[in-house]
Amino acid sequence: MRHRVLPALLACAVLSVPAVAVSATAPADAIKYRKAVMAALSNHVSAFMLVNFGKVEHQGHLKAHANAIADLGTQAKVLFPAGTDAGDTDALPLIWKEPDKFRKLLGDLEASSAKLRDAVAANDKPGTLAAFKAMGEACKGCHDRYRKADD
Amino acid sequence: MKTDAPGARPGSRNPLLPWRVAALLLAGALLLVLPGRARAADPPAAVDRGRYLVHAGGCLTCHTADRPGAIPLAGGRALETTFGTFYAPNLTPDRATGLGGWTDADLGRALREGIAPDGSYYYPVFPYPAYTGISDADVEAIGAYLRSLRPARQTAPEHDLPWYLSSRLVMFGWNLLNFTAGRFAPDPARSADWNRGAYLVRHLGHCGECHTPRDALGALDSSRELAGNPAGPGGEKIPDITQARDSGIGRWSTDEIVMFLEYGVLPDGDFAGSSMSDVITDNTAQLTPEDRRAIATYLQSLDPASPPQP
Repeated sequence: MRHRVLPALLACAVLSVPAVAVSATAPADAIKYRKAVMAALSNHVSAFMLVNFGKVEHQGHLKAHANAIADLGTQAKVLFPAGTDAGDTDALPLIWKEPDKFRKLLGDLEASSAKLRDAVAANDKPGTLAAFKAMGEACKGCHDRYRKADD
Repeated sequence: MKTDAPGARPGSRNPLLPWRVAALLLAGALLLVLPGRARAADPPAAVDRGRYLVHAGGCLTCHTADRPGAIPLAGGRALETTFGTFYAPNLTPDRATGLGGWTDADLGRALREGIAPDGSYYYPVFPYPAYTGISDADVEAIGAYLRSLRPARQTAPEHDLPWYLSSRLVMFGWNLLNFTAGRFAPDPARSADWNRGAYLVRHLGHCGECHTPRDALGALDSSRELAGNPAGPGGEKIPDITQARDSGIGRWSTDEIVMFLEYGVLPDGDFAGSSMSDVITDNTAQLTPEDRRAIATYLQSLDPASPPQP
């Protein structure tokens, strides 16, 4: 049994090496993925607001949206690999010119969305609003500086 | 000896004189100090109200330099317009570089007529054409708050303007053509909420300065109030916020407008970027829920703008 599983595992490991060592992702696909995750994030924010501010009665859904916002908020930091500044994107090249500043805002998103998830889990209403506001500051701050304005 | 004759006593002989001199000196010193003291003693309620109005007036957004650690209201932000680059001045009460020594009358004239205490004209990048509607009570409260700030010594760079605008006297002519001073007059046919919103949107909050398109002379096109400006400050395209369903916010509910003003979140879950991001942080997020609702009420009363001429 063991000698059958091990080679298979090894084979898998070997096969996955190229994907890890050299990113085989085309920049265009990386951009598409970034947009899809950002759209998912904003859709969860929109749904979260409709529940949180009592526009719809699906209170039971609030946690799912908050969890998704926190998860996607964590993913954002890997969505801007080098080489994805050109093409069908509103991301401004400034992102790759001042990576530390940019990463700080993504760190704010990660921290505030985690707080949002925790506050919702604890049914802490003021904490939820405070975290939502802090998350908005991170989102706005980033969009203000690093996203192309509408044209 | 005539030393006792009235009016002829040598000073050294009068034991009361040194006290009189001292009292005079003291009175003089008090006169020098008192105006400052009297100013500093603005009632805390007025200072608080002034702080609120300074947020609602969007003063922070332009009068604070755009860099980390900038002193609030000490000036220095560059405002790029189609007419050149303007640098917002220092509003802290520093005597040399700020508003130290300004009276409420000076402040009222600056805000509502666009004229500095030395009689020179401001450029309308400073929104006096909107601020002209501000009430006396609000001018006084704003003055109380500005005086309460710690003076910061900071001079804004000179404006960077084309030659034909370098004389502020040009603005005398511009004002004749484009500017009418006048306080906001509530419309008795409308609700208190609507009137409060109108005061905030048209005057104190000066939303039209960015959201209303301008003519060739840079005057706001009042027939297209808040219909969006394709060439806004910094070259930004500023959106239509009339009730137009596609180009404007005609599909937004009142609550969606209120939430946008508080959190910067759009109904689709996206967050505003660009210059509105700072407006939300410095201004609309700081307002009371009632004032945000009043703004929404006013905005929802606007006719949908027709699409702009190509």
